[in-house]
Amino acid sequence: MIFCLRRSPVGAGLSDRRTAAMVVNDNAGHLTPRGALRLFASKLAPAVLCVLLSIPGLANAFDLQQLSDQLAKPDVIHGNFIQEKHLRALPQPLTSKGAFVLAKNHGLLWLLKTPLQQDYRITAKGIARRDANGWQTLPGKSAGAEQNRLFLAVLQGDSSGLQRDFELSLSGEAQNWKLTLTPRSLLLKQVFNQINITGGELVHSIELLETQGDSTLLRMQDSTSGQPLSDAEQHDFAE
Amino acid sequence: MTLPSERTLPRLFLILLLAVLALAGWQWRDGAPLSANLMELVPGTAPDALELRAEQRMQEPLNREMLVLVGHKDRQQAVAMAQKLGEQWQASGLFEKVQWTLQADLPALRTQLLQGRLAMLSATDRQQLIEHPDAFIQQRVQALFDPFTGFSLVPSQDDWLGLTGRIQNSQPQHGSVQLDIGSGALVADADGKSWVLLRARTTGNAFDMNLPLQVADLLKHSREEAAQSDVQLLAASGLLYAAAGQQQATREMTWVGGGATVGILLLLLLAFRRWRVLLAFVPVLVGMLFGAVACVALFGHMHVMTLVLGSSLIGVAVDYPLHYLSKSWSLKPWHSWPALRLTLPGLTLSLITSCIGYLALAWTPFPALTQIAVFSAAGLLGAYLSAVCLLPALLKGADLRPAQWPLRVSEYLLDRREALLRIARTPVLLALLIAFCVGGLLQLDSKNDIRQWVGAPQQLTDEAQTIARITGYQPTSQFFLVRAANQQALLERQTALSERLDQLVNLDKLQGYLSLNQLVSQPHEQHKVREALNKLPQFWQPLLDVGVPLEALKTELATLQALPVEDIDSALAGPLAEPWRTLWLGPTEDGVAAMVSLQGLNNPALLRVQARDLPGVELVDRLGELNNVFAQTQISAAELKLASCVLIVLVLILPFGLGGALRIVSLPLLAALCSLASLGWLGQPLTLFSLFGLLLVTAISVDYAILMREQVGGAAVSLLGTLLAALTTWLSFGLLAVSSTPAVSNFGLSVSLGLAFSFLLAPWAGRQVHATSVAESAA
Repeated sequence: MIFCLRRSPVGAGLSDRRTAAMVVNDNAGHLTPRGALRLFASKLAPAVLCVLLSIPGLANAFDLQQLSDQLAKPDVIHGNFIQEKHLRALPQPLTSKGAFVLAKNHGLLWLLKTPLQQDYRITAKGIARRDANGWQTLPGKSAGAEQNRLFLAVLQGDSSGLQRDFELSLSGEAQNWKLTLTPRSLLLKQVFNQINITGGELVHSIELLETQGDSTLLRMQDSTSGQPLSDAEQHDFAE
Repeated sequence: MTLPSERTLPRLFLILLLAVLALAGWQWRDGAPLSANLMELVPGTAPDALELRAEQRMQEPLNREMLVLVGHKDRQQAVAMAQKLGEQWQASGLFEKVQWTLQADLPALRTQLLQGRLAMLSATDRQQLIEHPDAFIQQRVQALFDPFTGFSLVPSQDDWLGLTGRIQNSQPQHGSVQLDIGSGALVADADGKSWVLLRARTTGNAFDMNLPLQVADLLKHSREEAAQSDVQLLAASGLLYAAAGQQQATREMTWVGGGATVGILLLLLLAFRRWRVLLAFVPVLVGMLFGAVACVALFGHMHVMTLVLGSSLIGVAVDYPLHYLSKSWSLKPWHSWPALRLTLPGLTLSLITSCIGYLALAWTPFPALTQIAVFSAAGLLGAYLSAVCLLPALLKGADLRPAQWPLRVSEYLLDRREALLRIARTPVLLALLIAFCVGGLLQLDSKNDIRQWVGAPQQLTDEAQTIARITGYQPTSQFFLVRAANQQALLERQTALSERLDQLVNLDKLQGYLSLNQLVSQPHEQHKVREALNKLPQFWQPLLDVGVPLEALKTELATLQALPVEDIDSALAGPLAEPWRTLWLGPTEDGVAAMVSLQGLNNPALLRVQARDLPGVELVDRLGELNNVFAQTQISAAELKLASCVLIVLVLILPFGLGGALRIVSLPLLAALCSLASLGWLGQPLTLFSLFGLLLVTAISVDYAILMREQVGGAAVSLLGTLLAALTTWLSFGLLAVSSTPAVSNFGLSVSLGLAFSFLLAPWAGRQVHATSVAESAA
């Protein structure tokens, strides 16, 4: 009789379901598109934007490395931006203007001025928006620690993120270059066709081409790297 | 010396044996008719087909899926390893699907979002649209210019009002798992590492005999491979528990079965000093065969748990030959057939009482015990028949010269007893014993939990808990079953339930839940949204100001008005609905039904309260119910025990008279009481299984009392027979105590204790030789 007992599972499958074996069970659904939606909404735009404001270390080619070093140099950049959203259905783009402050060790201040006024801040703590009561960290975004880490890593010249997600190609020279980012993953390919960045000493423009036909053009103007953070700006980052 | 009937008996038995063997061969024609599904062994408490279906739906993934976290300090390395393992696993052929990246079908998502703009809007957004349309428009304008929140799956020109963006953002967020946008992997960060989620769905389920072991094996190899790259794997799956259970059962079978066999054979050799005496093991083998055949014949299959517990039958079955073999100490010369004739009435009585004890188990609501009872009763019958019909023929002419030292041991023991009785009379001893029992019983705790059936290795539960911590998913086995006459009523009832669950979530008593009303709102809510949209033109000037064409807004409004009311079925069709899909049970006999699943629960009692006055809402808590059944069964088991004793008394009145029968039965009962008290003194809990063990021991130890009372060949020889029988039984049952399955070990412990006390008390069975045995001795 013993011979048939070799393959005998006692307790088969009746795991302690109060603990986490059932993790498997419920994950089944949660790992699917729903998660993706939030992540797209909360992460992609800021990540891409911020990453690009100071191109991360691009270690594998000499040119990219040079560009990376060049962009990592300034501690603080002040400038103005014009954002144009070109929507297929609109003859005119949705245009907004404002100013930005990028500080190497702090983060980014994005101060939208027209057509409506709104201040944003991206730091290690997350994305915050200023209202009458001061800076409010956007709900659900504080959890997106990953995007902030990515962003900060980028600010500090650590390159691991971007090259994994995008195919990079650089053309031109130090004072007039163009960097093209093509998404690698299937997921990103369904969203973006391409991202184009141009610049010289600093970044001049960023263009996002979406698969749906819309595009966003961000132009940075009057960027300067000479000016330190003002007290108010330091206060904004500190708060 | 040999009667004619004793010549034909062996032949008749051989014919029967051949027939049973043929039947066994036929039963095993398609492989072993073994089952490993533990749920088959616990009482079916779900009376209602719908509840059963809901339960199966919730359990199914548990037994087919494996979740693995691949962790490394460097995210890229973790992703690379996940990819590598994913490819290897896919190629292994064990899995139907292995997934480590998110394969989002964006066009389908967009379609669903656009289609569900009225039905999928969250309650908060609905409220804002209805009560504060101006703020609603203002937020939309902001979003259009916001570079940080402005990304939406659906392009702005298809959704100027931004309803899809709101739906996107209001989707319940789960755990701390994030999408790594570059690789498409799902990653959680914890303990200084990045953990990539890898999910695999097997082709079969955890109750296939081979699959769990293969999966566990593959995982082991993957772990080793990963470790070389400094990557750590954490895994959780019902399959792994199944594999661990199988390995454990195999190990324990070897220990219990092998240990008992070796021990008993050694004992036989030591006591009787003849190789031929090993033939006494024939009844054991025949008993096992009969047990297995009867089990398969009655239940269609045999559970492995039956085999583990049934293997202890070895020790009981070998008692039959021992009964007459032990007479070789008093009968000189010893001949097999006369020895059998002498002990036959005792053997038969012993068979009847043991069977009564075992079959009493069959009346508990546990299919497991019913199987064990059938297996054991049939096994005992087989062992008895072979001991009575076949073995004497095999042992014919054997010249038994047993070792004398066992007899001296039992004589010494009897002397000690006499010495003890000189110091303290029986009533005094009884009083002491009762004091011992009372003291122990006062300390006895009762404990019943389905988890005692599972000896899950600590490492597995630890890993599963770590995964729960890292990912933030803590599913619970409890869920709500909601029934209603139609979909509208169902959603209403779910909304009522959601309101209560939300309160628990706010109080941190519950981490979250999934309910269909989160996916699709009630039809009348959808109407309200439609009405609110009609009023929107009064408020949308800010959108026109930033350049959105009036025509576009009007067209969109018209499209929205034309959207049909979504019902549950259409809402479940899209990719967004995947997590909810299992919750929908669809039309039932009297309406529709759905489940509400729960996450991260810390107090099950709170849940029951939630459902109390909600019509159609019911909490399904299988574990809780099972534990209740356990507790109730404990009481009915005690009743069964008493009933079986009454039956045994009735059987024994015939040979021993009422007084003798009562005395013989009271000894095992007292032994059982002492065992209970010992459990108390030892600090061991009283479980259902210890009670079952005692139920069994009562039946077995009646034998010892009978043996001692009959005193064939004198007190010392009878005590020796009892000692041998107790030792062999203990060798098989006692070994169960080392099992790492708490239920089995509990069973073993209580039987061991019971046997020890039965042996100690057996000499009090009385000494007067009565009529029946005199007649036998003369025969």
